Amino acid sequence: MGPVELLHMSVFSQSFSPCGRFLAAGNNYGEIAVFSLSAALSPDASQASQKPILNFTAHDGPVFSLLSTDTHLLSAGNGEISAWSWAELIKKSTKAAWTRKPSYETSLEIPEINAMIINPKDNSLIVGGGDNNIHIMDMETGIFKSVLKGHTDYIHCLCFKEREEEILSGGEDGAVRIWGHTEILLSHFQTCSGMASQECARPQFGKWISCLATDSDWMLCGGGPSLSLWHLRSMSPTSVFPLPGCQREAVFYQDLIMSVGEGPHVSHCLHGGTVKAQIPCTPSSLNTLALNLKNTEHRVMTVGGSSHQIDVFTNFSYRAFSLSF
Amino acid sequence: MSSDAVKKRKPKVIRNEAGTPETKRGRAEGEQSVEMEERRRQCSVHFITLKKLNRLAHMRLKKGRDQTHEAKQRVDVLHLQLQNLLYEVMHLQKEISKCLEFKSQHEEIELVSEEEFFQEAPAEISRPHVTRDDHHQLTLARLDWELEQRKRLAEQYKMSLARKEKIHKAIEQKREYLSSLQPGLQNIMQASLPVQECLSMPFEQMQKQAEVARHLPPPLYVLLVQAAAYGQACDKTLSASISGDVDEAKALSRPPEDSQDDESDSDAEEEQQNTKRRRASVGVQLDDKRKEMLRRHPLSLCVDLKCKDGSVLHLFFYYLMNLNILTVKTKVSTTTDLSGAVSAGELLNSESLLNCLYASDHGQETPNPTNRYQFDKVGITTFADYVSDLGHPYVWVQKLGGLQFSSDGAQVCVLMGSALSASHMERTMKLLQGRLQARLALHKQFSSLEHSIIPISGECQHLFPAKVVSGLTLVPVEQELGFVQHVLKAGLLRETDLFFMAVVERGTARLLAAVVVNPRYPEVMPLFSLSLHWKGERSGRTEDNLRAMESEVNMFRAELQGPRPGLQLLTNQIQRLCVCLDVYLETESQVCDGSEGPKEFPREKMCLRTARGPSRLKPFKYNHPQGFFSHR
Repeated sequence: MGPVELLHMSVFSQSFSPCGRFLAAGNNYGEIAVFSLSAALSPDASQASQKPILNFTAHDGPVFSLLSTDTHLLSAGNGEISAWSWAELIKKSTKAAWTRKPSYETSLEIPEINAMIINPKDNSLIVGGGDNNIHIMDMETGIFKSVLKGHTDYIHCLCFKEREEEILSGGEDGAVRIWGHTEILLSHFQTCSGMASQECARPQFGKWISCLATDSDWMLCGGGPSLSLWHLRSMSPTSVFPLPGCQREAVFYQDLIMSVGEGPHVSHCLHGGTVKAQIPCTPSSLNTLALNLKNTEHRVMTVGGSSHQIDVFTNFSYRAFSLSF
Repeated sequence: MSSDAVKKRKPKVIRNEAGTPETKRGRAEGEQSVEMEERRRQCSVHFITLKKLNRLAHMRLKKGRDQTHEAKQRVDVLHLQLQNLLYEVMHLQKEISKCLEFKSQHEEIELVSEEEFFQEAPAEISRPHVTRDDHHQLTLARLDWELEQRKRLAEQYKMSLARKEKIHKAIEQKREYLSSLQPGLQNIMQASLPVQECLSMPFEQMQKQAEVARHLPPPLYVLLVQAAAYGQACDKTLSASISGDVDEAKALSRPPEDSQDDESDSDAEEEQQNTKRRRASVGVQLDDKRKEMLRRHPLSLCVDLKCKDGSVLHLFFYYLMNLNILTVKTKVSTTTDLSGAVSAGELLNSESLLNCLYASDHGQETPNPTNRYQFDKVGITTFADYVSDLGHPYVWVQKLGGLQFSSDGAQVCVLMGSALSASHMERTMKLLQGRLQARLALHKQFSSLEHSIIPISGECQHLFPAKVVSGLTLVPVEQELGFVQHVLKAGLLRETDLFFMAVVERGTARLLAAVVVNPRYPEVMPLFSLSLHWKGERSGRTEDNLRAMESEVNMFRAELQGPRPGLQLLTNQIQRLCVCLDVYLETESQVCDGSEGPKEFPREKMCLRTARGPSRLKPFKYNHPQGFFSHR
């Protein structure tokens, strides 16, 4: 990895291990690096502990999405999903447990996979990507059971409402679709397009939706339009956040909303619509934000974006140090 | 006394006479006069007795004096005798001591030891029966023996001298004979010159060179030998020759005369310095010392490397005697006239032509660590000031001359001298030729880039689509550029790098590209940093698509370098940049300020998808025969 390659590296996805002591990050060269959080956070941490303990090439194309189950790390490359056992990764073995491809119609260009989520109730993996469709795969058998079609442009993000078992998807076409029980294809859907409500629309950027998050009744969505908080039952935006760039990922955390996107900062916002703080960080724009809530000792927030460095926040108000690829 | 007596008589007489008249007067008075006579007679007798006593006293005194005088004289005589004797004693003592201290010359003669003497000397000289007892005789005998031996050896010496004279004469005669042959041989050599040229075996030239080469300092000699050997074996176009003042070199290498010359020279120098001291200060002295320290050997080596297109790289190697390092100066001569490329003035500048031939070999500091201490003595702080004058002391030049200096971080090299030179020769020569070709190609490319023509060779056409609309101009770099900061932070920009700015324009859009070209181009790819002025200013730092364009141009060396040796790299990169700008502008669907209307740049490039991935990147990758753009 010469200095020019490091200069042009972008981190697209992160995932914490089930025990919470390790962080896996995927970059645009198709590599996955596993960092040891316990080493990096320990009092005698050095430069070397901010380097990955394992760095391997997982896919040909960029790794846009990483997801951790209880035992495995799932990574999405160019049209394929690979699973890696966390126990094996910690022992530095880089053999994939399995690799599966959803069936695609076009063959000229392999569509990427942008988002993956898990439905814990029926143990299925929901995947959305460049072919404008959502594929659902059964984790035990590995068969792709259903395809949800409806978007007219590729899918940026997915999220899952656990209480009603509904899938929300946002795409390049600017629509947010809500999919009901997955045993029936397209049972009912509703679209709420950012363009419809003028308050959050930003035509100078576009209409795509690149981030979705849900907290049972509330939904956050943003991208081309401003980041806004919607009340799902009434399908109307309650607050619009005045953030300058396009947001790429947003999460609910306690009573705050944290989002990252264009611009070298993490924005902390309140439900009311005010931006409480913008914490500066090293990459010039951010792609991914992850919170390690499983482990109370290593409760950190990590962000990655257009840089080979991943910033780690131990106290969410300031950047503590950076891990580097 | 007699006079007294006479005098006494006279008055008697007188009295008598006087008395007679008076006798008559009185016979009564007669008795009185008889008493008076009696008294007078007694008185005279007393007087006479008194005189007699006086006389006796005088005479006794005189006798006493005479006796004393005599005794004294006797004592004096004895005293003198004593002194004489004492003096003689002293004299004799001195003489004795002188005699005792006397070192006879015979003691200075080294005589053989007694045993040897008794063994070697014949009996009539050694006379053991006498000499064994008598030391004096023994010494005499030894001296005799010494004398005999010396006489014998003197004889032998005379005979040897005579023989030597004879041989000397014989040698002289032979020498004369040989020197008489010399002109004849010269004639033959002269006559053979045309033959040599005809057969292209320049023995004479090589011999002359070898003759001069004998006076080269060792590193230059190693370099000459290795370069000539390499030239003969691998690269017929390489030629090496010696230039400089041979007599000075000869003067330097003559040691015994050198000391005399040194003395006279140093005297002369001292005088000169003395006069100088009267006029100028210590500064001038220091200057002289510096000049002395940085003195070059009068002979230098010139190596010419020819390239296929006829341009020649001239390398002049110099040896700095006191510092024990080699330096090099360069000159490029080309068949075509190189002019016009303003921004490329630096490329063939002899100062920077050979910079970083091997990574981080800048040639600004001397590689010999002992020079640091020498510089401290004469007050030279940086060698870089003298480099333009003396030449660059690159590390590869030292290696070619067989000079190995230990420095931090270098691996321990077991080779020394010629082996070291030979191991580096081929690689260095190839690098030099490559460097010259790369710079010439770059120069040509720059001059055509300045005319806004991007020269793409036939082999590289497949990398680009047929129609590229954006146009290029080169501009000088004016001010600090904000969008290059990330390159500086990553430590990829160094003083030795060439820096220029290209502007690609299409319609109202203007793309500024700051390019950093490493001196080791094309081994190291030039680095582009972009900033787009179109409806606002964006740079690779603020926008992911521009960053993707940067990575499309900066990486993928294998695709962009074209046919070996990869001299098309820069022009291909620039062409790709133009293509990427076309794609960017044509796929930009957003219209600012909500205004509707025809797009400024109609879509001409064929793309399957205009956005992909979470950062919605544009398709910058060109696929060749199909002619469409896709994502990486």
